[in-house]
Amino acid sequence: MATTTYLSNPVVTVNSVDLSDQCTAATFTQRYDQLEATAFGDSNRKYVSGLGNHELTLSLYMSYASSETYATLANIVGGTVTVIVKPAVGADSATNPGFTLTGALLTELPVVNATMGELSMIDVTFVGGVYTADVTP
Amino acid sequence: MDKYKIASHRLGEIGADYDVEGATANGINVAALIANGFIVKVSAPKPAKNAKKELETDEEK
Repeated sequence: MATTTYLSNPVVTVNSVDLSDQCTAATFTQRYDQLEATAFGDSNRKYVSGLGNHELTLSLYMSYASSETYATLANIVGGTVTVIVKPAVGADSATNPGFTLTGALLTELPVVNATMGELSMIDVTFVGGVYTADVTP
Repeated sequence: MDKYKIASHRLGEIGADYDVEGATANGINVAALIANGFIVKVSAPKPAKNAKKELETDEEK
């Protein structure tokens, strides 16, 4: 059965700070630029892989308390950090890779996203950096 | 190299040593961790006071 259900298991760390209990969604995309290599004589378009251009988007509850979301992100916006997402708690392994972006840039931080009667949430996106899937315990 | 300890449960066991060199090598922004109190610098223990030296006085000379 090729399905994965995420309940309370995933682990999200930003700049080595564990924000798992503030995170409700994570989308980690391994991506490479698409370079066209089509030439005369070709009857179909051809592409080759270019530079890595990876991305991680997190949905987080916004909290201004110490050691929470704002404290973690406020001093890294505009800078590069390491972010890690693992499917489950526990050591890295082939079935629980530690998906990592090293040197990922956080370009923007929504400091307020307030709606009356709702918990404040923000989406943040880390771009670039070196992608690895660590399977070494 | 200054020593740092973990001050937030989100980073690990509070009071445990934090490897700043290793973290920096792994792309961690240590300055941000310090700025928001996730890790704290361990102040070096004060050197023990030297035993009082006998002072020479004019009378002794």
